[in-house]
Amino acid sequence: MNNGTSAEAPLIELSNGQKQFGLFQALTNINLAINEGEIVTLLGPSGCGKTTLMRIIAGFETLTSGTLKIDGKDVASLPPEKRPVNMVFQRYALFPHLDVFDNVAYGLKVKGVEKEERRRRVQAMLRTVQMESLSHRFIGELSGGQCQRVALARALVNGPRVLLLDEPLAALDLKIRQHMLGEMKRIQLETGATFVYVTHDQDEAMILSDRVVLIDHGQIVQVDRPQDMYFRPRSLFAAKFLGETNLFEGKLTVSGIGQLSLETQDGPFEVVSNDAAVSGNDAAVMSVRPEAMSFRQSNAQLDYAVDAEIADVIFSGSRSFFHLVSLGGQKFRVQVQNMPGAALPVAGDKVHVSWRKDSATVLPLSRISS
Amino acid sequence: MTPSQRTGGILAAPAATYMLLFFVVPAILLFSYSFWISSGFRIVPDFVLTNYISAIRSPLFLRVTYNAIVIGLVTASVTLCLSIPVGYYLTYVARSKIIFYLILVTWFSSYLVRIYAWRTLLGTNGLLNAVLLQLGIVDTPVQAFLFSPFAVAITLTHIYLPFAILMVVSAMSEIKAELIEASRDLGTSALGAFFRVVAPNAAQGLIGAFMLTFILVAGDYVTPQMVGGSSGQTTGLLIADQFRKTGNWPLGAAQAFLMFLVSLVIYALVLALGRLTGLIPARRKTKPAREVA
Repeated sequence: MNNGTSAEAPLIELSNGQKQFGLFQALTNINLAINEGEIVTLLGPSGCGKTTLMRIIAGFETLTSGTLKIDGKDVASLPPEKRPVNMVFQRYALFPHLDVFDNVAYGLKVKGVEKEERRRRVQAMLRTVQMESLSHRFIGELSGGQCQRVALARALVNGPRVLLLDEPLAALDLKIRQHMLGEMKRIQLETGATFVYVTHDQDEAMILSDRVVLIDHGQIVQVDRPQDMYFRPRSLFAAKFLGETNLFEGKLTVSGIGQLSLETQDGPFEVVSNDAAVSGNDAAVMSVRPEAMSFRQSNAQLDYAVDAEIADVIFSGSRSFFHLVSLGGQKFRVQVQNMPGAALPVAGDKVHVSWRKDSATVLPLSRISS
Repeated sequence: MTPSQRTGGILAAPAATYMLLFFVVPAILLFSYSFWISSGFRIVPDFVLTNYISAIRSPLFLRVTYNAIVIGLVTASVTLCLSIPVGYYLTYVARSKIIFYLILVTWFSSYLVRIYAWRTLLGTNGLLNAVLLQLGIVDTPVQAFLFSPFAVAITLTHIYLPFAILMVVSAMSEIKAELIEASRDLGTSALGAFFRVVAPNAAQGLIGAFMLTFILVAGDYVTPQMVGGSSGQTTGLLIADQFRKTGNWPLGAAQAFLMFLVSLVIYALVLALGRLTGLIPARRKTKPAREVA
């Protein structure tokens, strides 16, 4: 599960974590290790348990069973105020009766940090998040992006070992969101804190993370670097949740010794996958990203191919999106990088579409877990 | 005037008119009465401070006003202290509304019935004395429970507690539970979060609950009559007598305005105390700087 390279013990270690709310099983069999200095994203659809998992780390919820260690110590009995973690709340939860400076100073004041030292640290942190000029504003007078910066500063000024971020960009509009993502990465580099970031947005997860923890129905589905999870999803859920993908559904049959063939509407694909998750007589899908497909002539050794008719073309500047229907009736999409003067097929054209065998992943259809 | 302002004005007009006719106008009349004089059985327009002077020179007025202030402060303090944990529970802990509705249900019982209930509980043959006798804590029934300032305070606490709880709940429901979590996350205990985050943000409502209880208690003239005895009388009854019995409206009006003044002073003191202890946030320290967005 943990493919971090650090030889040290992980900063956060969850073993066999279970969480139940009454009869509802919110988290099942959670095993997760997060290393110092990492940005780890807990990614999943709403209600999957990712926020519960983060609240358990923060100390606002307790595990029904299993252990949680932070820095090698079991923290089950520690209340939130005694844990070396700080949190950025989804709607910031800034204190409306305090100004920006006092919001950021709150944690230091509670801990009894001496006044001059406190002022120095708060100002340094406000500089980091570029809010020093607004330090005497009250919270009601700030924009969403500014609140976001204050919330980050208020948490980070305490020097937490782990910063927990609960969908911190969800309330911001797209443009500020993209800007804040860059800011977040910069601030993480500057402070060296470990970030655990909860989101349902796969783009945020891929842009920001060192590793993505994909969660579905209270279970960890896959933990991987973003590029590995994108190109090598280990389940249909992962393939569909991260980015766009085309799915060719079929049945696996044994076509030779150690050879499997995926029988689809568009004929058989010889499966080179050595994924142990699939075997003969399984219903399976081949997942292939739209940008991995092209209209070039296929090489039977290296490529898969189908013949299809173009239903629709969408030009969007740098790229064109083709909606196609294969001869077998399968709908799929192809994405092509646009070049000036390049001749591209148009709607109604019959085309030959191919993709490299190693760009496709064959996944079991029924089971969700990897 | 924008259309929405006009609509708002039209909608507010009935209540505003009603309050103007039946509160503001009578209050102004009452205020002017307080400068008139009563001679014989008639009240004569004048502009003298005689009523105010004779009120504050009267030992009876001073004694009952002192009673009203003490009973008011004690009742308001106890009521607020009792209602804060309940309000906190109802706002942040309780998952069902049942207790909230039970509190509303207490309003279905009549005010007078509840006063009589306390007479029964506190009387010489009452529940409290019976328990104390049974436990051997006292040998003879304690007379002093009933007909005392204590009896007035305990009865009025009972009557106004649900009121205070509702006000505390409405003040706290403005404060998101997330703020308490944020405070915990930044290093305070749950109690610390209450004093540093909940109290300052609920300050208006908490003071409202305190002052409302104080004003209602200090002005109450039924409960002292029924359970106060001679030592538990408050200004309300004295003022009522000026209007009902002695017919000295100017003096009654002056006493009423003195009580109003007392309430204002108490309010100012409570605010000052809150500011001093930091439970009420100081208003903004600096004018927000103009920012180029």
